[in-house]
Order: sequence, then C-alpha cells, then structure tokens
Amino acid sequence: MLHSVEFRHISKFFPGVKALDDISFLAESGQVYAFLGENGAGKSTLLKILNGDYQPDAGEYLINGQAIHFSTPKEAIAHGVSVIYQERQVLLDMTVAENIFLGDWPKKMGGMVDAELMRRRAAEIAARFGLDISPDTKVGTLSIAHQQMVEIMKAVNRNSNIIAFDEPTASLSDSEIDILFQIIRQLKEEGKVIFYVSHRMNEIAQVAQKVIIFKDGQLVDVVDQATTSEDEMIRLMVGRSLGDIFNELPRSASRGEPLVEVKDLTTPYVSGISFTAYRGEVLGFAGLVGAGRTEVMRALFGLDPVYGGTITVEGKAVQPRSPAQAQALGFAMVPEDRKMQGILPNISVRGNITISMLKSLLNKWGFLMESKEEEIAQREIRELNIKTPNSDKLISQLSGGNQQKVILARWLETHPKLLILDEPTKGIDVGAKAEFYRIIAECARRGMAVIVISSELPEVIGLSDRILVMREGRISGEVMRSGFSEETILKYAMTDISK
Amino acid sequence: MKNIVNKLKKSDFADKITLILAMLLLLVLFGSLNRNYVTFANIINILIACSLTGFVAIGETNLIIAGQNDLSAGSVAACAGVLAALLSRAGMPMPVALLAAVAAGCVVGAVNASLVTFLKLQPFIATLATMSVVRGLAYILCDGKAVGISDKTFIRMGTYRLFGVLPIPVLVLLITFIVFGILLSKTYFGRSIYVLGGNTYAARLAGLNPTRIVFKLHIMESGLAAFAGVLLAARMNSGQPQACDGLEFDAITAAVLGGTAFTGGVGTIFGTFLGMLVLQSFKTGLNMVGVPTFWQQVAQGCLLVVALSFDFYRKHTRDKHALAESMAARNAAAPKAKG
Repeated sequence: MLHSVEFRHISKFFPGVKALDDISFLAESGQVYAFLGENGAGKSTLLKILNGDYQPDAGEYLINGQAIHFSTPKEAIAHGVSVIYQERQVLLDMTVAENIFLGDWPKKMGGMVDAELMRRRAAEIAARFGLDISPDTKVGTLSIAHQQMVEIMKAVNRNSNIIAFDEPTASLSDSEIDILFQIIRQLKEEGKVIFYVSHRMNEIAQVAQKVIIFKDGQLVDVVDQATTSEDEMIRLMVGRSLGDIFNELPRSASRGEPLVEVKDLTTPYVSGISFTAYRGEVLGFAGLVGAGRTEVMRALFGLDPVYGGTITVEGKAVQPRSPAQAQALGFAMVPEDRKMQGILPNISVRGNITISMLKSLLNKWGFLMESKEEEIAQREIRELNIKTPNSDKLISQLSGGNQQKVILARWLETHPKLLILDEPTKGIDVGAKAEFYRIIAECARRGMAVIVISSELPEVIGLSDRILVMREGRISGEVMRSGFSEETILKYAMTDISK
Repeated sequence: MKNIVNKLKKSDFADKITLILAMLLLLVLFGSLNRNYVTFANIINILIACSLTGFVAIGETNLIIAGQNDLSAGSVAACAGVLAALLSRAGMPMPVALLAAVAAGCVVGAVNASLVTFLKLQPFIATLATMSVVRGLAYILCDGKAVGISDKTFIRMGTYRLFGVLPIPVLVLLITFIVFGILLSKTYFGRSIYVLGGNTYAARLAGLNPTRIVFKLHIMESGLAAFAGVLLAARMNSGQPQACDGLEFDAITAAVLGGTAFTGGVGTIFGTFLGMLVLQSFKTGLNMVGVPTFWQQVAQGCLLVVALSFDFYRKHTRDKHALAESMAARNAAAPKAKG
C-alpha cells in the first residue's frame, strides 16, 4: 500500500517570527526525504507539525490525500506518524519487549499485561529486520545503536507508515550507522514515507533520494540527491560553497616560532608521540575515530597520566597535571563532547564565557566586577556572532552551534597560546561551520598555535596548514599543505593500504 | 546605590514575589485569627525559632546548588550541642567549648566530602550513613542523658538580648545570611558553586577544582550545623542527644521553598531566607491558632506542594516568553550570518 504526506502552504508563526513560511511539498512511499538546512531554518518546527506537537497557523497537512489536524503527538501516532529523536526515548530498566509496547501494553483478560504476546511480537519485528535483539534483554544493557533500533521497532509495532528521523546518527559509530541505514532502506522498500534530518552530507548521500532544502523558514528547493552535487546543496542552503569558504580564509604567509614541542609522549593510550606546534599555524590531526588523537590532547591538558616523554612550552619543560595547570601554561581546549564536557548547562551564556578567566575579574576585595564581566560577554557575543537574546540566557537554551561558540569564547578569553579544538564543528550546521573556520583561521593569524582534530577530511584539509595523521595510538604520517589530498591522508590513516 | 536597588528588583525580588506574597498572606491570615500573631514579641519568637533551621538551610542551599546535599546536619547539631555542654561542664570556657564543637562538626563535614569525592558515593547515601553514626555518637558521649550547662556566659550566648530586644542567635543568623548572600553572588567561590551543580566534569575542564569545592561546602555545612546545635544547647541550658531530629529536612524545605532546585545550579541565599521565614511563620501560626500537631505536619507538606506548584506555573509562562524571545533574536541575527 502506498502512502503520502503533503504540506500545502504551511506557515507557522511565533511572536515576532515566521518560523515556517509557505512550505509546500509532497512526499510519497518508496523515497527517503532528507531535510537540509541551517539551525533555525525550520526543519525542527516542521517535524513538530508533522508529529502534532505544533499546529500550523496556515496551510493544509494531508496524509494519503486526506486533510488532517493533530492537536497532540498522540493523535499523530494513532495516524501512523512516528518521529525518532536523537535523544532516545527508551526506558533503560525495561526489557526490549516492554519498551516496544511502551504505554500501550496489551492486556489479557483480567487486566494483566500479556507478556507472551509482547515477546512474540518483539521477536517477529527483530527477525523481520535481521536484528540480533532478544525481547527479554534490558534496554540499558544494549549499545546506543541497538537502543535506537528498539525505538525503530517501537515505530514499526505501532504500524507507523510515516517515520521521521531527527539527527539519528549523532552518537552512533560508523558500523552502527550502516545497520541503521540498512533498516531505513528496508522501511523504504516496505512502502513507508521516510524523513531524515541531518547535518551530515555524506549520510544524506548514502540514504536519501530527495533532498528538501530549507533556508530561513522557507523551502528553497527540492532536489534529487543523485544528480545534485554536495557543493550545490551547500550553496542552496548557505548561499555559497564550501570550497569558496576555505579559499577565502585569512592565512598567515609563514608559520612563526615553535611554541609547544612534544617528544616521545607516552600515555596509557598513545605512544611515541612527537610533534611541534608553531605559532601562527593551524595543525590538523587526522585519523580514524579511536586512533588516539583526542588522547594526545588529553595528556597535554593534564587529563591523562603521562608515562614517558617530554612536553616543552617555549623551550621550558612542563608537566600539566590538571586542566587548571594546563590553562596556566597558556593551553586551551574546546572538547569534543560539547554536552558532557563543554557547556555548564545551568549557567548563563555570560557565566559560561567568563568562567575560565573569572579570577582576573575580581576587585581588591575579592568581589566579581559584574559590569566588566558583562562587557566581556557582550564583546564575545558580538565578535563571534553568538545568537542569543541576551547574556543572561541559559546556555542550554542555545542551538549547538551557538553553544560551541560560547565554549570557544570562554577559551579565547583566557588569551591562550595554544588553542586545541577537538571536532569543533561536529553536529553543527554548514552556515555556522563557515563562521567557525573563519574564527579558527583568524586565531592562527593572530599568532596562536592552533590544533584541530577533525574526522571530516574536507574540513581538516581545507583548514590546516599541516596535517599529522594518527593510526592506532601513533603518528603515522605528516603532510604539508602542498601535499594535501584525501588519498594521502587516508593511506596513512588506514592499516589496510589497499582500500 | 540606585544600581544595586535596580539589580535587586531585576533579579531576586521579582523572582521571589510569590514568596513575599505568601509571607504577607500568612501575616494577614494568622494575624486575623490570633491578635498576638503580628506583634513584635512574636516576630522575635519566630526569628529565634528560625535560627536553628536557618544556619543549616544556608549550608544546604550551597550544597544543593552544587548538586550535593546533607542528611547528617540534625545529628551533627545534636552531637555538637552535647559535646559543647560536656566540655563546658568539664570547666572549659565558653569560646573553647564552642570552637571545639564547631571543629568536630567540620570533621564530620570532611568525612562526608571524602565519602562523596573519593568513594564516589551519592551525597544522599554518604550522609545517610554519617547521620546514623553521628547520632549514635551523640548518645554514646552523654550516655543517653541530657547534659546540663551551668556556665552563665554559655547560657547568655543563647538568651542575651542586644539592647534588650535582639537575641544573639537571631543577630548572628542575620549576619550569616548576609555574609553567605554576598559570598554566593559576588565572589569567585560562589560562582564556582553554581558551575559545579550543572556538570562536574565540564567544570573541571574549564579549570575548576571540583574536589576542593565539595570539601569546602560540606565542611561549611557541618560547621554551621554544629554552631546551630551549640546555640540551641545554650538556649535550652543543656546538650540533648535527641535534639534536632529532622532538622535537615526543615532546612531542605526552606531552601526548596526559596527556589533552590534539586537538579543543581539554581538557588539564592535570599530565596532561602524567605523560604525559612515562610516555613517558620507558617509553623508558629498553626501552633498559635491551635491546629493539632499531627495536622501541622500534614499542612507543612501541603505548603511545599502549593508553593512549588505556583513556581512551576510561573516558570512555565516564563519559558514560553523565553522561546519567543530567542526565536526573535535568531531571526534578527539571521541576515548577518548570510554576509
């Protein structure tokens, strides 16, 4: 049976804002539709209209040609619409079967839950998708990817014919992503209408047939994935291509003095690491996830024990044993996991910006100089173009890209000599990425030594002046800008050179 | 000065309007039921009753903001009272007995902090254990019997009234509130408490030392509890091992009434001050209009629920405004991003 979802002239207003402006498109069975756009372009508002969380202020929403109106997500579920979010909505202490039937457990005569029926259905669904998940397993013991599979099983069990995925791969490994894509393809074959929201262009290329591009609440275009280049899509959503962005970066003509020299550094996770970071240079660290790049930086930042080797800063041997000591040496690190390691969620944007340099804002009585603090916050908000109504806003209420800018601002305010950025643009939309690239390049031009870890090859190539490649806890190659190519870097990064 | 007033208006007062209204409501309600309720003498009485809860509530507020809590405060207060009374009876002068008892309290705080930071126990569990241990020690120290105090200076500490009106415990409590209010809102240490409550690991990466902060907070809390316990002993002319049962829960109630969030990172000393006043006025009021003790307990629970429901409603409407605000800001900023 074929299904369809159609939006006709859908608009949604918030006080003073047009979140969605006259959106129209038709989505049909047998295709995966990717939503592409910067944060705030309207993707999530549209998803919320799809699942009944929001009601459109104008326009029509049709399922299988019938105009419908959902006033709650529950009604949407009853009509076969499921949205699978980045944050999994599973209960960790319940079994797979219980989770699949969550909130709607089948009852036997007398009101007892029919555990046998639940188990049987769960096993059926798992078999249908070739998943090795037992109905009786506690969900908490499953990997994150499998927990997500349980969500998908839940949607299938509800007979959902319209399934939307909201950034589903944010915390999945590469092999787990492959499993997810297999399932999405199977759902597509079964005639479901699939929506897929992601910032990751390579995933969209793998899984989607149509790409719906949003910009500032409007639908810019619906393009065929197969016949449209990645650069073209980026141009449609941001207004310019990534190549242009990298070419326009301000670069220093030559690198400066050596700043940090690392010799034979060995920790529990990496060994024999030697490299030099120069002032005015963006040094890229490439390699596969788990190659030990983050671990090198953790050692520099006093987070992992150092078993051997030396670190010198401007010729002086140092041994940072805590982030506070590393900071005192002029090191700064924007960590990989923004949510767990970066943001201080209960604190204002201002407090998040100033926390690492707050000690220099004390007057002689030991009190904080609040007007000065506000000045600094305002300056960073302006310079890094952080989108927030004011500096009192809690950081957790900002979008990912803006949170990341706040973390960067925090470290820039410590006036570091060495700025380490670990996957700085992970999960950030392309528009904000471009801003980040400019800021990073500007930092190097102003004389900082900048280290960028990135798993995205185009990014590390476009941004760096020199790239070190790591493999299995060691540095396996060094490439200068003149020799950059994806092949060269991959060759050093992979154990199996034949690939 | 005007600046300060404006700031207060913007942050604390506006935020605490519910509590201030509740306070006024209580005054009107109980005042109309009992003409002795709104009198100077009674207000001083309420403040004296507050002094025990107040000290502990300050410490609890700090802890809860930092994502910690302390169930051992009541036991520490009782034990400190007994210890000070014993030392006083053994001939020690009042200041020595007081300092020794507070120091002993600080040791318990350090133990709590060690359990939390080194053994990685949940604060709730760690202090549940010390609560029991310290209560037991209080009974052991005095063999289960109240220890009378005869030292006049000691007793005066609890009963002397400055200018004949302001009792020493109330004076000290007010000063302590002001000091901690400033500490929390105006200093580096205060800020680091809020930072800790959200995400300890991120705080460490930002250059803070979470272990040291947790130690300081637990030591402060237990020291304050011990001090409150000694003041109580002075007021009662004796150290009693069964005293202060459930004190920590009253203190936590005051903090939560005042807007301190158990999820950490949110709360103010001023809020706790109001929370404490509301709680104690309510209790005293119920007593004075003759509500039976058991019903008082029921009423106290209901007060908490009602107060928090109001807060929830206000936060809900505020969040709605915040959403609209941030969407507007995003749209306003959007054109810049293009260029």
